[in-house]
Parts: sequence; structure tokens; C-alpha cells
Amino acid sequence: MNLKKYFIRALHRLQKGPGYTYKELLVWYCDNTNTHGPKRIIKEGPKKKLIWFFLTLLFASLVFWQWGILINTYLSYNVTSSLSIGFKTMKFPAVTVCNANPFKYSQVKHLLKELDRLIEAALERILQPTPGNSSENSPPLDLGLWHQIPLVLIDEHDKDNPIILDIFESNHTAGDNQTAAGNETAAGNETAAGNETTCSHHGSNNCTYRNFTSAAQAVTEWYILQSTSILSKVPLQERIRMGYQAEDMILACLYGAEPCNYKNFTQIYHPDHGNCYIFNWGMDEEALNSSNPGAEFGLKLILDISQQDYIPYLSSAAGARLMLHQQKSFPFLKDQGIYAMAGTETSIGVLVDELERMGYPYSDCTVNGSDVPVKNLYSQYNTSYSIQACLRSCFQNHMIEICGCGHYMFPLPEGVNYCNNEDYPGWAYCYSSLRSSIRHRQICIDSCKETCNDTQYKMTISMADWPSEASEDWIFHILSYERDMSTNVTLDRNGIIKLNIYFQEYNYRTISESAATTIVWLLSSLGGQFGFWMGGSVLCLIEFGEIIIDSLWITVINVISWCKGLKQKRVQARYPDAPPTVSELVEAHTNLGFQHEDMGALPRDEALPPEPGTPPPNYDSLRVQPLDDLGPDSDAE
Amino acid sequence: AAMAPGKKITARIKRTLPVKGPQAPTLSELMRWYCLNTNTHGCRRIVVSRGRLRRFLWILLTLSAVGLILWQCAELLMNYYSASVSVTVQFQKLPFPAVTICNINPYKYSSMKDYLSELDKETKKALETFYGFSEGKSKVRRSVDEWSSTGSDFFKQIPLLKFEDLSKTVTDLRSGQKRKIEGSVFHKDSSIVNSGDSNDIIGFQLCDANNSSECALYTFSSGVNAIQEWYKLHYMNIMAQIPLETKEKLSYSADDLLLTCFFDGLSCDKRHFTRFHHPLHGNCYTFNSGENGTILSTSTGGSEYGLQVVLYIDEADYNPFLVTSTGAKIIVHDQNEYPFIEDIGTEIETAAATSIGMHFTRSRKLSKPYSDCTETGADIPVENLYNKSYSLQICLHSCFQKAMVDSCGCAQYAQPLPAGAEYCNYNKNPNWMYCYYRLHEKFVKEQLGCQQICKDACSFKEWALTTSIAQWPSTVSEDWMLRVLSWDKGQKINKKLNKTDLANLMVFYKDLNERFISENPANTLVILLSNFGGQLGLWMSCSVVCVIEIVEVFFIDSLSIVMRRQWQKAKKWWNDRKRDQVGKSPQAGDLERQGHDNPVCIDEDLPTFNTALRLPLPQDNPLPRTPPPNYSTLRLETAFTEQLPDTLEVGQH
Repeated sequence: MNLKKYFIRALHRLQKGPGYTYKELLVWYCDNTNTHGPKRIIKEGPKKKLIWFFLTLLFASLVFWQWGILINTYLSYNVTSSLSIGFKTMKFPAVTVCNANPFKYSQVKHLLKELDRLIEAALERILQPTPGNSSENSPPLDLGLWHQIPLVLIDEHDKDNPIILDIFESNHTAGDNQTAAGNETAAGNETAAGNETTCSHHGSNNCTYRNFTSAAQAVTEWYILQSTSILSKVPLQERIRMGYQAEDMILACLYGAEPCNYKNFTQIYHPDHGNCYIFNWGMDEEALNSSNPGAEFGLKLILDISQQDYIPYLSSAAGARLMLHQQKSFPFLKDQGIYAMAGTETSIGVLVDELERMGYPYSDCTVNGSDVPVKNLYSQYNTSYSIQACLRSCFQNHMIEICGCGHYMFPLPEGVNYCNNEDYPGWAYCYSSLRSSIRHRQICIDSCKETCNDTQYKMTISMADWPSEASEDWIFHILSYERDMSTNVTLDRNGIIKLNIYFQEYNYRTISESAATTIVWLLSSLGGQFGFWMGGSVLCLIEFGEIIIDSLWITVINVISWCKGLKQKRVQARYPDAPPTVSELVEAHTNLGFQHEDMGALPRDEALPPEPGTPPPNYDSLRVQPLDDLGPDSDAE
Repeated sequence: AAMAPGKKITARIKRTLPVKGPQAPTLSELMRWYCLNTNTHGCRRIVVSRGRLRRFLWILLTLSAVGLILWQCAELLMNYYSASVSVTVQFQKLPFPAVTICNINPYKYSSMKDYLSELDKETKKALETFYGFSEGKSKVRRSVDEWSSTGSDFFKQIPLLKFEDLSKTVTDLRSGQKRKIEGSVFHKDSSIVNSGDSNDIIGFQLCDANNSSECALYTFSSGVNAIQEWYKLHYMNIMAQIPLETKEKLSYSADDLLLTCFFDGLSCDKRHFTRFHHPLHGNCYTFNSGENGTILSTSTGGSEYGLQVVLYIDEADYNPFLVTSTGAKIIVHDQNEYPFIEDIGTEIETAAATSIGMHFTRSRKLSKPYSDCTETGADIPVENLYNKSYSLQICLHSCFQKAMVDSCGCAQYAQPLPAGAEYCNYNKNPNWMYCYYRLHEKFVKEQLGCQQICKDACSFKEWALTTSIAQWPSTVSEDWMLRVLSWDKGQKINKKLNKTDLANLMVFYKDLNERFISENPANTLVILLSNFGGQLGLWMSCSVVCVIEIVEVFFIDSLSIVMRRQWQKAKKWWNDRKRDQVGKSPQAGDLERQGHDNPVCIDEDLPTFNTALRLPLPQDNPLPRTPPPNYSTLRLETAFTEQLPDTLEVGQH
């Protein structure tokens, strides 16, 4: 019932209309609005009125323009950075130490025996080109390995048709001397000294030569490829056993005033460097804090890298490889690692350089890598996401996709094997073409995102000789005794490294981001703009909206009445002599102007009988109107 | 009827858009009207409030609000040119920087023998005289004899002196005579004179060739520095006379320096290096100099993907007096940057693998009004002598060189030549060393004005380096490595390489994160205006409209009211005088003036009373509740009554 009543009332209202015209509405609005401009338009004289009208228009457009700028600024999601520097108690970084050499040569000798003989023979051939006396009574070489990836000499002395010579080919008798000579003479021109051939398949023509200008590099690269293939067949447990053991490598450890030993280190197998040991990784136990700067409160290590046991052709640099990284992150030693030289004491002062960024939409970074489309293969180590892990996983995925096997340097997804020469004869070709493919790298760069919290450990590295000549004897003696329980000195200068890792006086530099534009900022700026030009507020906007609704209402009513009039007109056309309606009569009485236009009268007027209910608001325009009319009169006199 | 059309139009405009003066007759009325009708808050309170205290309080509050607004807006204006810093990190393919590698020893000693033998002989002689040092007894003896017989230019020009004590008694090396020396003493090593213990101070004297009484004495606390500095002076003098082509030949060739090269998993050779002759370091080689238009880039971080070179440092061919350390010097720089290798190079040890991890940071400052930096260096009045993009270092060196050419007449050897200048040497400019030292002294003390003229560049790239060293080659690989490298080197040097002749260098990106530190304007005009608006709105609910109102009311209207008053007074006084004196003679003129005052004819800017009078007025005021009626009625009543006599007077005529 109530609803019906309400609708009827609404209908009456509708019929009644707002009771005033557009102009009246506008004038009323201008007079009563809280924005500053419009009032002036109607209050001032005609000249000023014009000025004020344009001023108001100008200000309104200024406001809208600047609002646009402000909203754009807000939507660009700028950030401001704040920097803080100082010292605070911080988690000591995780320290990974490795040997530059992955395996003990004494342990892997039986695997690499054939390869080593091969390369020795090859070097012999290269260095002493006159053959004959080199072939002693040694057992015949296993050329199976060789034929998969042969080393060749390319003589580019004649640029157009280079001579390619396989080092172990039998028909080299004539060419060898020439080649060597050519190489030497052509050294200034265009020479490829050592080369490496990789073919996709046996006997197929799909071969590429990897050119090296230096034989040393060619030999090293060739050896790495071959040994990778051999070692990838060895099970992980065996590989770990062949590497350096913690008790052999870490001779002494001191953290602050507390003694520690090799048991405090977590072992991790790193494909590049064999067994690596991580101090303070924070995987099982709480991470250690350091609350004092200076070497006295840091980590002190003595390492033995036993240089005699290095694999001669695999790694030519000797030393320990170490890296500082965050807890629970995987150490990528090839990227971020540094060397420590044997026979020296290396002091590393650490400054933690942190960059804390805001995630989406402020910048395109990832918090934990869950939104990156690359499957993180390093998650099997329980480590957190990092861009390096993503890039490597991406490469490995490509490798598996294209070559069918995984590269030995990176972790494997389930159900895939590492590449080796027997099972995947073309892998080396596949790998080297993939590695040099810019396109695949770009895909990986595009799909990986950096982490939002970027922590770097800035290191100040200094070195001194250690142990000193005077202290050498007793230090070696004690360390040998502790390690091997023997009175003989089993250590020497070439294998021993002392490390001090500690926080600097200022141990952190944090750059943190905060949003430059918040919603509060936006609102206050919008308000400021509106207030500055027009003295307006949100309520003014509502007022304006009200006016628009009102004018729409007027329009609606006008349209309705016009339609009605049209209908009536049609009806009148059918009965041309229709008697005037009551409203028409009333209209006729009230408005004299209508009597002249009998038929052409606008029909909407008939539909809208004047409602006495709502008197029009008291407009100043009413007052203004006669004022203008009087103008010419006063002038005329 | 005979009015011109133009006049007609103006008359019409004036009729349809009549000019009104301020409708309030007096200032206080105007103020009252303003306060009642203004949009700003506060002012209305003053008028509306009852009671003197309350009114006073409101006046105080309004005024303090105005004061606050002015203060805050001034503050906002003053802080307009402040910058905020943003740091962005982007992971992307990075351009590999140019890496310039030099041997620390500039020229092969063996090939320099022709030029330097004389100087070396004398240096050895000096060593023997002062310190009793001789490497091979017989050889030195002979050279001493030779020297004493022939005599030499070097000591004549710049004598090495030994100071017995600070009483300025010196032993001249050449004559062996003791003599008193005059001139100002400069201590090269420290500004503080080390008196007492070290009574054997060694130094040299530089004299003005034109005026021998003016001498400067340079002393060093250690003979090592003195001898080296002295040697260097002569060395520069000799080198300045050798043409560039010869010097390039005397120095190391790319084949000499580079044994192996490996970049991004691929082999490279000397073709990837560009020669660059550095005056103090001889031939240097720049990897990835971008000279052929392509700049290499890295898309993977890590040591495997960077630059790996093995350098051949021929230790035996070093100049014993010029350089005392062995190794190479490298610098990582942008392709457009000049490598100031003597200033900021990193030294590389021999028999070691030096791994240099890079981290790339790009910075940008805002230029002019925010900070005093220069974008391109074009606005700096110092000519860029280097063929590279502007940097502070370049500017300082160029500035010094220019000063050198201006005051000494020749150019210093270590810096490029300005147009039309020549390098200094004794034969042409006997005075240059003294001049140079004087000038350098001034330069260091910032008296040349270079430090004031040169500004730092607004944007710069920086590669932060983490350097670590490992033993190389390892003891077990040493044997084959050296053999193969010797083979690589070829039979040109017919000897097995020694590991102290080699240095292994790896330069690589630690990660491909590029940090970009940039300054952004903290304020824009839009934000400034919104802040103004916020302040105005907060204290007084004011806007630009109010400001216009204030200008209108307080300046235009008040002024016109005052003018009107003055006009009336003047007129009254004139009329009175006229009435008193003659009577009715200047009537015509009066009329004319009235005509001028007629709103139809005169300009609309300064409304006078007459215009106000002739304004069409609403005769009836049917709606008394609207504010302006107040005002019009005021005008109607007071204005008319007050000014009636005047109009009447005009009407009479």
C-alpha cells in the first residue's frame, strides 16, 4: 500500500515537474553554490558578468586539467627512496667456502686417466710438431673420446681456404710442419691456433668449429667438455666422496669469541667447485647475529686447499672460492664469488647493502618467485628464489627441451639425466649452440624477475702474507698435528689460507622505497587544486551533480509533455474541431499571448498546467532583468 | 544623427555594457560590503560580531590566518626546487664497458736505450754520489769517468742537491761544492717541515731561466721520491721531443701485450682491441671501445661470460727508474669516457689471476635550478681537449693545460695538446719546468680558478669493482700452461715464459642488475598550486576568486573611491572659487569637462561619480532578502543625497 502511495506521489511529482526552467535552475545554482565563481556571474553588472563567466570557465578547466595531471601522477606509481646508514645488530651473512678445484686428483685419477693421456699426447703433438719419437711403448690411446670432439689446428694463413688438421690424423705428415710454421708467421694476421670441433652426430655434416686464438684456452675448454661428460655419469654420492672433505679443508674456525669447527658447516655439492661448505646458512638452526664491528667479532677461518691434489688441466687458478650471501639462498659462486689466495691472510670487511622495493604496481619485482613462469630447479635445495636461480633453471629447461638431457652444471628436474657422450653423442654441439644463442638468453632474461629485496654484501678486501716467515714453522706444525695427528708437517704455503670476515663500522646501508603518491596525497592535492581555483569541495561537486539531475529531470518532463502533445495533436488532427480542454482554457486565461497562435501553440504548454504548489525560488535574475531593461531608457533621456 | 559608425558602435557598446563604479560611496561602506559578501571566512565574522572584544578577536584571528597563509606559501615557494631520489633496479642485458689495459711500464726499455742512456747514466751517478750505491762497480766507475769528462745538460738544468741541514747549506752534486742557497723551499712530501732527525734531505732546484735569482727548491723526505721525480721531469722532457708515431712503435704492440683473449664464451683477439696512446703509460689497449660502431653486451653474469685475458708483462724490459712496480693497469669505463688510467686505474699483479666483478650503477642529477651540474659541458668556458664526453676530470686537466699554455707558452706532456701549442722541452722553453711547478702549485691550492669553473657532470655511469686474487697458474698446472702459452706466443720470443711475466685477468658482471639512481623534482607546478590551495582553504577557505576579489576591492574599488572623493573635493573647491571670484566665465570649459566625464564618451576604466549617477538603477527592489539590494539601496539613498548638489549644478548650465 505504502509503495503504491509512494509511486502515485512520484507520478504526481513527475507530472508537476521541477517547477522551473533551465535558466531559473542555473541562476538558482549560481546564487547558492559554495564554489566561488558562479555567484559573481550573476551578481555583477553585465561587463563584469562576462569577465566572471570566462574566469569561472577558465578556472574550471584549469581545475580539471590539473586534476588529470594529478591522477596521472598517481597512476604512474612513483616511489621515493630513503637511505639509512649505520650500525645495528644484524644477521651474519652465510659464508660459503669452496676449493677452486672440484675434486681431489688422487680420487678421480682412475676416471680421467684416459683423458689425461690423450691430452698429454695432444699437447705433445701441438708443441713438438715433428712426430716419431713421441710414440714410445705406451699403451695405445683411446681415440674414442677424441673422435667425439676432436681438437684441430686451423691454419688461416690463406684466408680463403683454411687448412684444417686433426692432430691425431694419420695424414698429417706433410701438413704438420707447415701448419706450425704458418701459425707462427701468421700470428700477426688472422690465425686460429687451437680449435675444437663439435658435431651434432657421428658422421653427419652438421659440424661447427669453435675457434680459439689460443691453444691454452682451446685445451682447457676441450678438457672441461670431456671431463663433464665423464663425471656426469658418476653418482652424486661418489662425487661428494671424491671432493674435499670438511675436516680436511677447514682447519680452524672461530666466530667472535666462540670456537667452531667443520661440523658447524653445511655441506652442499656445487657442480663447479665440488664440495662447498656453508657457515651460518640458517637452514636448520637460527642464524647467528653479530652485534659488534671489527675483526675480533667476525668469522676467522683457516683453510687448506692442498694444491698438490689439483686436477692439472681443469682449473688453472688456485685458491679458495668464497662468497657471502643471505641465509637460505643458494651460493652462485661463479657470479658473486671471490678468490682467496693461498699463503695469504684475506680480510673482508662487510657492508650489507640492502634495497627494499615495493612490489607491484610500483615496480616489476617478485617477492618469492611464485609468480615467475620458470620452474625453479634450485628449490630442491630448499633455497629461496633468486634471479640467478631463475636464469639457470631457465637455461636447464631449454637444454632439456632441445637437447634431451640436462647440463651437468645445473640441477636436474625429475626423470631427466645428465648429458654424456655415450648416451647423447650430440649434446656438446647442442649445448654450445644453445649457449651462444642470444635468443634463448633473451627469453630467459624476459621471463625472470628480480627479487624485491636485493641484498648485496659490499666487501672491502685486503690481503697480507700469512703465515709470516717467523711463525711459519710452528703454525704448520700445530695445524698438521691437529688434522692428521702426525708430527710431520703436511701443510705448506701453497695450500693454506686464512680468512677474516667481519662487519665494518657501518654495517648496513638500506635504501627503502615508499610510495611517493598515496591516495591521501591524491585527495589532498585534488582538494587543494579545487580549493585554490574555485574554493570548492566535494560538496560542491555533489551540488553540481544535483543540478545535473535536476536539469535531466526537466528534460525528461519536457520530453514527456512533448510526446503527449504530439499525441494530442494527432488526435486533434483527427477531430479538427475538438473543443479546447480545460487546461487550455485556463492557459488561455492566464497567458494572453496564446490567443494569437491558435493551432501552432506548443502542445507541451497544454500538458503542463501551472502548478501553484511550488513558487519559483527568489532569483536575483528577476531583479536583474528590469535593471537591464531600464538601461537604454536612462541612456535615451 | 550625423555620428560616425565607429562612434555609434562604441556608444552602443557603452549603452549595452555600461560601466559601473564601486557602488559604495565610502571606504568603510566598501569594506563592510566586502566583508559581508566575500567568500573568505573570517571577514564576515568581524562585521557580524557584536561587542568590541569579540570583533577585536576576530580581526586578530583573521589577520593571523592571513599571516599564516603568507608564511606557509613562502615556505612552499622556497622549497619548490627540492629533489627526491629514486632508485630503480632493472635486470636486463647490459652493455659491457670498455676495458682499457696498459702495461705499467710505458715503453720497452731496450728500445728506449737510444734516448735514455744519457739520463740513466747520470741517475746512476747521482745514486752513487749520494748513497754510495752502484750495481756493477766497474760499469759505474767508467760512467762516472765519462760523465766527469763530458759534463751533462741534465744537472746543469736541474741540479740535484743534498741538504746538509736546514741551514740551507747544500751540496751540489755536480761540483761537489757546498754553497748557500737562496729561494723558497717547497717540501713535496709534506707541508710540514720535518726538522730534526732527517738531516739528509735531498731535492732539486728549479730556477727561472730569465731571472736566475728566482728559484724554487723542492725537497723530499726520501731520496726515492726525489730521484723518481727528478727522473720523471727529464724523462718527460725527452719524450716530448719524440713524435707520436715513433713513440707508438717504441711501446708494446697488441701482440706483445695480449696472449689470450676470451669474451662471453667466445675467443677474441687483438682485433677486438683499440690502441690508445697514453702519454705516461705508452700503448694501452681498449677492449670494446665501440670504435667500429658496435658495443658488446652481456646477457649472462658470471666469470665465464666476461672478458678473460692473459697478459704478457715483460718484466725484464722495465725501466728501472721510471716505474718501480710490475704488472698491468686496467680501468673500466664507458665508451665515451676518457680513461684516466694514471688517476683511477686498478693494478694487476703478475703470476696471479685477478677476478674483477662489476656492478653497474647509473646516476642522474637534476641540472640547473636544482643543482649546479652540467649536462654536456657545453656551458663551461673550458675547451675540452680530449675527444671524449665531458667529465669533471677532463675539465680540470683541460683547464690546467690551458693555463699552462697561457703562462708558460708550451703544453704539459701528460695532457693532450691544445690547438697551435707544442709540448714543452728544454731546447725551446728552457723555463718551462719552473713555470710548470709554480703553476701546479697554484692549481693544487685552487688559485687558478679551475675548480670553480669546472662543474661535475649531471649523469654518470659507475662500475663498482670487487677485486680478488688467486694464485695462477696453480702449481700442478703451471708446467703445461706455460708450455702452451709459450707456444701461443710463438717463436718470436725464443724463451719459455716465466709465470711472473704473465697476468690473468677476468672482468665480468657479478649480476645484470642495473641500479639507476635518479633525482626527480619533488614538486611540480601542479603540486605547488594544490599546496597553495590547501593552505588558503585551510586557514580562510579562500581561492583565486577571493584573491581577485581582494585585488578588485582593495585596489581598484578603494582607489576609485579615493579618486572620486578627491575629484569631488577639487570640483567643489573650484566651484567655490569661481563663485567667489568671477562668476560664470569658464562655463563652456566646464561643460566640456563634464562631457568628458560622461560615461558614454570616456573610458570605462575610471568611473567617476557622474557615471555612477547615470547608471540605470533598479527603481523597485522587490526582493529585499538578496544581499546586493543592501548595497544598491545604500547607493540609492546616500549616494544620491550626497551628490545631488553637484548634479544639480551641472544641470543648471
